[in-house]
Amino acid sequence: MTIRRPEIKPVSLPAIPHYRVIRTEAGTPLYTLHNSTQGVVRVSFVFRAGTSTQSIPFTASTVVNTLSEGTTLHSGKEIAEALDFVGSYYDANIDRDWAVVTFCSLKKFVGPTLDVAEEVVLHPTFPEREIASYCAKRKEQLHIQRSKPDQLSRELFGKALFGPEHPYGVTSPEECYDNITPEILRQFYQSHYNASESFAIICGDFGEAEESRVLSILEGLPAGSCTGCNIPEPTPTPLATLCLEGAVQSSLKLGIPLFPRTHPDFIPMQIIATAMGGYFGSRLMQNLREEHGYTYGAYAAMINLDKAGYFVMSADVAADHTEEAVAEMFAEMERMASEPMDEEELSIVRKIIVGDVIRIFDGPFGAADVTIENIQNGEQNDYTERFMERVATITAKELQEVASKYLKKNRTTVTIVGPER
Amino acid sequence: MISYKERTLPNGLRVLVNEDEVSQMAAVNILYEVGSRDEEPNHTGFAHLFEHLMFRGTERVPDFDVPVQEVCGENNAFTSADYTNYYITTPKDNFETALWLEADRLMGLDITPEKLALEKSVVIEEFNQRFLNRPYGEQWHALREMVYTRHPYRWPVIGLTPDHIRNATLEQVRDFYNRFYVPSNAILSVSAALPAEQLFEAAERYFGALPLRPRPERTTIEEPEILAPRRRTIEAAVPADQITIAFLIGERGCRDYYLADLLTDLLAGGESARIYQHLVKERRLFSAANAYITGETDRGLLILTGQISPEVDVEEAEEALYGELELLVREPVGDYELRKVQNKFEANITFGELNVMNKAMNLGYYKMLGDMALLNGEVDIYRSITPEEVADFIRRRLNPTQSATLIYLAK
Repeated sequence: MTIRRPEIKPVSLPAIPHYRVIRTEAGTPLYTLHNSTQGVVRVSFVFRAGTSTQSIPFTASTVVNTLSEGTTLHSGKEIAEALDFVGSYYDANIDRDWAVVTFCSLKKFVGPTLDVAEEVVLHPTFPEREIASYCAKRKEQLHIQRSKPDQLSRELFGKALFGPEHPYGVTSPEECYDNITPEILRQFYQSHYNASESFAIICGDFGEAEESRVLSILEGLPAGSCTGCNIPEPTPTPLATLCLEGAVQSSLKLGIPLFPRTHPDFIPMQIIATAMGGYFGSRLMQNLREEHGYTYGAYAAMINLDKAGYFVMSADVAADHTEEAVAEMFAEMERMASEPMDEEELSIVRKIIVGDVIRIFDGPFGAADVTIENIQNGEQNDYTERFMERVATITAKELQEVASKYLKKNRTTVTIVGPER
Repeated sequence: MISYKERTLPNGLRVLVNEDEVSQMAAVNILYEVGSRDEEPNHTGFAHLFEHLMFRGTERVPDFDVPVQEVCGENNAFTSADYTNYYITTPKDNFETALWLEADRLMGLDITPEKLALEKSVVIEEFNQRFLNRPYGEQWHALREMVYTRHPYRWPVIGLTPDHIRNATLEQVRDFYNRFYVPSNAILSVSAALPAEQLFEAAERYFGALPLRPRPERTTIEEPEILAPRRRTIEAAVPADQITIAFLIGERGCRDYYLADLLTDLLAGGESARIYQHLVKERRLFSAANAYITGETDRGLLILTGQISPEVDVEEAEEALYGELELLVREPVGDYELRKVQNKFEANITFGELNVMNKAMNLGYYKMLGDMALLNGEVDIYRSITPEEVADFIRRRLNPTQSATLIYLAK
């Protein structure tokens, strides 16, 4: 018995939504993306206040994570109560460059949610008791995290790729939490949460009232100057290992410092990373998992930071096969750099990327995530259209030329967290 | 609120469809009523290993992933104690590719000794990565063994030991497939912005030709109550002491199940919840703490757990967890707080229904539970719960004598 395979219908690209911009008197932009289909609203506030902008360890993350721990009007508990009561989500997120606070609510509860947003963004007090509790807790949690191979591997890799003191690679001992004081946090908040290097975005089912409400929150940000920090060149180490007694696997990461998204070769490298380890049928998955059974999963990606970028491959492999796995990862790099991929593979990779983009835009909030990333990179949403265009037209030859320029064994940093061998 | 229509094909396949309104994507979900509970005690981990093998190709489609990728789709699967769930999302005009692929692998697999050997090593690495190569990784093995004396929930889905996976044979693979992977044991659900008739018609076209085969019977083993406290302490190289207290609760869908679920939300559902506010923030007894139910269809578990702050005794931490339960008996929860967790259930359901994949998955899951009224009816159940009922539930079900407690001490 056979069933005929259905014909493949052409997949149309999603329309990339274009936002409107409204600005405060000070010029801080609010991007609006209206989509009234699902009765939910999301508002995000974005500040250039990531961990690379701090001079005292853990300041940046503590500030963004404790904005909601107390304001001039309410305690942290009251704030949590207010959000939980209407079932709204609050999320504070930080990366090396940016801090983002996001509120999500049902349309009918957007009013009370924005009341809380205003306090959290504009009037945090960093109460002593809450800060001490937060720091003690995070210190313990970080200690726990640092017994896990994935965390150790991430930290070792950051240090090895950028250098142990580099703002994009540095990690600090847990004890540094002991030095955090409310005063330090208030100073960081005042210097980094200002009108000049921030923006907000509202997305979903909202009206003019909500728009002006968010704008008025932005109006309340103090004027400030760009805090721009100097990001030095990375100083990579070729090999770093960390011995974990009794581990049954080795966590491998192989990375090459490259460039941020503004570089013309960034998109080609993204496509190369997808082919290498961005989907189930990718080369690393096929090789390390499907052919050899060394691992449960192997991945590759092109990572974008504000002032840097890098290519990375990773896998947790059976400890006995550590050397073979590293050799196979290098072999895949070499193959990518020396042979153009065939049309069939390139076509699949294109479809993987198109599929990812369609999926991102499919929810009510995906467009907000894409917009935030574009704005952070100094682009508008037409970047995404140009990205799709480039993905559709680039040739295998061009990709191979790019790969051969950058995928070099002697420029690669290898980190291994695993048992002694 | 998920609207749906359902039909059963002559071969017993249950088909449910939801007409989405906005999505560019279609989701095709197929749930098989087989999980780790259907395994033999000396061949555990098999249902999950089998889930992996379902991606190893058929004679007609040697590589399952390629056709999915060719239509910009995405697919994955998971195995639980009670069921195995496969899903594919594609741009909606290509949803038939997903139906075709699912029908094809229900028609016959092509598993060679080499493919089996390879998949075993992948699953053993998954076992290593998720359970052996991390602190507290084996806690579920230890805890389930303490609570369940008869029911097959005694072992985790991954299996009791990597040896059981190593020992799996091709013959077992064949038998398992023939017994459980039949249309009458499956639920197909689709969510897409397409007319229901079109979805039904396509489902019939791809699955209708599959023959009717008997639905495997599932016997339910009663797990006896815990009558005296059970306790185990493991000294290990973990970064912090940890306590986990487990209680047996009622089966999915009974009143006690909802009471347990709502109670754990009062304790740990969100920043403002009791355990977090009282024990993590105010008293700093734990660096992290949680309460939740495990959600199986037969009698599952209510879990109270936390990583204990340095310098705090395990006894003090344990007493504090029980103290939170006693407090809810002494002073039943107020209306405001109760409404808060009920509102949260409602909001979570709305947020959870924003994409086609969740909707298709929910249709399959509730059909498996056997009571479609629950699909859109659970908010009302939560709304009907009273403070006295919660207190009564704690009094009846959550006494130390009914508990199994697992303690990790950092070496």
